[in-house]
Amino acid sequence: MKIVAVTACPTGIAHTYMAADQLGKTAKALGHQIKIETQGAMGVENELSESDIKGAQVAILATDIEIERVERFQKIRTIRVPVQDAIKNPAAVFSQIGG
Amino acid sequence: MRAEISNPTEFTFVCPLANGIHARPASLLAEVATRFDSGLSVVNQRNGAVANLKSTLGILAADIRHGDNCSVQVRGEGAALAAKALREFIFQNLPKADGPVVVERLTHGALPRSLQSSDVNYRAGAGVSSGVGIGKVVFAAPIRLPLQVPETATDVQAEERNLDRALAAVRERTRGMLARSLSDAEAGVLKAHLALLDDVAFVEELQHGIARGNTAGKSIADTAQHFISVLQGSGSAYIRDRAIDIQEICARLLQELCGTSVPSDEVELCEPSVLLAETLAPQQLLAFDRRWLQGLVLEYAGTTSHTVILARSLGIPAVVGVKNAASVFRAGEQVVVDANRGLVVSNGIDVVHQFYGRERRVLTRRRERMVREGLAPAQTLDGKKFAVSANVSFSAEVRAAFSEGADAIGLFRSEILFLDRDTPPTEDEQFEIYRDAISVAGGRYVAIRTIDVGGDKPIPHLHLPRESNPYLGFRGLRIYPEHRDLFRTQLRAIVRASAFGPVKMMAPMVTTHDEVRWLKSQIAEVQRELSDQNIGYDPAMPVGIMVEVPSVAFILDQLCADVDFFSIGTNDLAQYFMAADRDNARVSALANVRHPSFLRFLKHIVDGVHAGGKRVSMCGEMAGDVSNLPLLVGLGLDEISAAGSQLPNLKSEIAKLVARDCRKILDEAMAFTSVDEIDQLLARYHQRARQESLLDSDLVITASESLTKEEVIRELVDALYVAGRTDDPDRVEEAVWARESIYATGLGHGFAIPHGRTDAVRADSVAVLKLRKPIAWGSVDDEPVSIVVLLAVRDSAVDNIHLKVMARLARQLMDESFRGRLAALDDQREITQFLTSCLQLQP
Repeated sequence: MKIVAVTACPTGIAHTYMAADQLGKTAKALGHQIKIETQGAMGVENELSESDIKGAQVAILATDIEIERVERFQKIRTIRVPVQDAIKNPAAVFSQIGG
Repeated sequence: MRAEISNPTEFTFVCPLANGIHARPASLLAEVATRFDSGLSVVNQRNGAVANLKSTLGILAADIRHGDNCSVQVRGEGAALAAKALREFIFQNLPKADGPVVVERLTHGALPRSLQSSDVNYRAGAGVSSGVGIGKVVFAAPIRLPLQVPETATDVQAEERNLDRALAAVRERTRGMLARSLSDAEAGVLKAHLALLDDVAFVEELQHGIARGNTAGKSIADTAQHFISVLQGSGSAYIRDRAIDIQEICARLLQELCGTSVPSDEVELCEPSVLLAETLAPQQLLAFDRRWLQGLVLEYAGTTSHTVILARSLGIPAVVGVKNAASVFRAGEQVVVDANRGLVVSNGIDVVHQFYGRERRVLTRRRERMVREGLAPAQTLDGKKFAVSANVSFSAEVRAAFSEGADAIGLFRSEILFLDRDTPPTEDEQFEIYRDAISVAGGRYVAIRTIDVGGDKPIPHLHLPRESNPYLGFRGLRIYPEHRDLFRTQLRAIVRASAFGPVKMMAPMVTTHDEVRWLKSQIAEVQRELSDQNIGYDPAMPVGIMVEVPSVAFILDQLCADVDFFSIGTNDLAQYFMAADRDNARVSALANVRHPSFLRFLKHIVDGVHAGGKRVSMCGEMAGDVSNLPLLVGLGLDEISAAGSQLPNLKSEIAKLVARDCRKILDEAMAFTSVDEIDQLLARYHQRARQESLLDSDLVITASESLTKEEVIRELVDALYVAGRTDDPDRVEEAVWARESIYATGLGHGFAIPHGRTDAVRADSVAVLKLRKPIAWGSVDDEPVSIVVLLAVRDSAVDNIHLKVMARLARQLMDESFRGRLAALDDQREITQFLTSCLQLQP
């Protein structure tokens, strides 16, 4: 499955990146393709383009704050989870996607 | 019959000294005045005060401040001569008499974070003599003049005898202390007290009191009161700080006269002690047993008072301006005098005890490290050794230069010995000065430059002619043949001194090979003379020349046959080479040493000397400027010589350079066509070179015994302090806690990343600590923390370096193999290498 994701925590110093790393690793283990955008203290990195989103079947938004340009995800199935869930139990996040 | 007041001579001057005429310039002035029999006085037009110029105290009492208009009046025998000498002194020497008054960095008591709890009992003040001392409180009563002195005198002669007896006894006591004094500062203070006991105005005031019918005791008390109130009214703190000396001397006189005692003299210390007092006079301080004296806490004391100066020279930590200490601390209670922070802290509770126990270990480690670094020879990262020597003007600077880490004395400017005097120094006088410098140098060489005067550096007793173009005139070595005796005397003194340790001799302003041959023949003659007289010397003493006149750069191949070493004096060389006077603002920019032409010229000189198999050093201003170092290393100089205070900085910067890169930088610089381009090149290189690695193994702590988050952070901050990455660990600690209090930095998996931004760190730094036992941190997973990575970055840090490092660390933490690897490592170097590569910490 092709997945896009955004991670963002309030301070943007550590958890944004920890969540991104966990989602990436778990996706790989489950055989998914994933591209993850981080919105942290260094700004937006690895930004998702319109075509990235168009080409994906689902978007995971692991965020504790309002993210930038959330309107990009209006036309795609979106799963919202707290950042901590992505860090502590990423497998459970992916199980929400279903079959 | 002699006319008492025949044609008094008078002249006026404006006080040129920023701090006014304080004790040192006043005593110099009095010294000159005392040489003459004439009556000499000074009137301060601002306040109308009149002072006898032969009295240091009188001059001080006239409160002459910067810019005050003063007139000097000279009367009687030899008035014209005295006026001439005084005028010369006041206009030529007085402006230079105000050497830098050393005031240590003052600190004003702020408790370090670890001690900010309500049960810490402390008082704050100003730290004036640095250090930390611990001891039991001993209260010392201040000197008070006895209020009850016999009021009615019976016999003037008897009272005069009493006074003389008291003066003699106090002089004797002070001389005895002087004979036992251990430091220059101590001797200086005691000599000042002796001078006061002989001061004309002071003794006159005492005698007048008796002549008016007072007892000696009453007269001493009145005199004290008079001068103390005058000095305390002064606008200069330096002068106000002298009042306590008067008070002490008068108290000592009364002690002799009436048998009253100074109570603090009776106090005997028998264990580590801290003195608490309202005020303390210099001799009072000296009377205490220094082995037990660990600290000094005063309610009132000037930072330039003799008591504080003594505390500094004796290495006693001192905090002043501490109000009501007596109501806070009990006699016999153990306290810490933290003069580094300006604090006095009761040592009764564990938290204080532990903090200062650790503080003492940290300070020791930091000092050991600094000494190790500064005293090691400078070396670039790729191993090119580079001698860094000191330029000195006085033999007193030699010791200081070596304590700053000088490898040798690269330039001893001998002309200072010839200035400010009526006749040149004798051979023996010079010999002793050179020999003293050599003995202090202890086997490291001293390069003595023969007298370099003329034109711009006039010396009255040489009667050198005025010239229209002094820089191109009769100066340096050019005057030696005409002043042959002067030069031969100096030569003999230097050659004789060479018997006592390694000496090099070098001559200024050499222009031709004939001059070098003449110089060598003079040395040979002096050596023959000394051999004939059976006086020892080193026949192999190296003889070098200054490279200042461009002509020598083109005969180096020939000169190398007769010259042992070369020293480039960039100041003169640049102005001769560019034909631009450095003192003429319209053209001085042309004398910039970074012109491509000048750099090429320097390269030509260094290569020429090396081709001849000799050594070349640089001792001009160019060598003291850290930003020029890449060029100097690139040139391949063997040595640089600069002011002692610049050496630690030069050495630590050299250690960050790569000689290979420096050669490329020099090539690049020489290929540019303007100074601007070269400035930019150096600025870019400097910025790059300054990016120290974020982490090095000194900043890795394994097996920490800390039990709390507070202790862990302090331990990490102390590591930065010991490594010299900060001079103010308290501020770094505050910055880290400011961040920590918003959001605990535990990341889970046993990791925490406390961090802070502050310019109290010199370089962006990462420090790592592994705990022996995990501790609570306030982490997301509530698990205890066992590995802590601290980041401290400058406010001016570029590229969000800390954010990048933390983001990388956060991602790595999700990787079990990273965590396992780090948990398994316990060698500082391996941890450093591992983290440097995983987190991309290299500059």
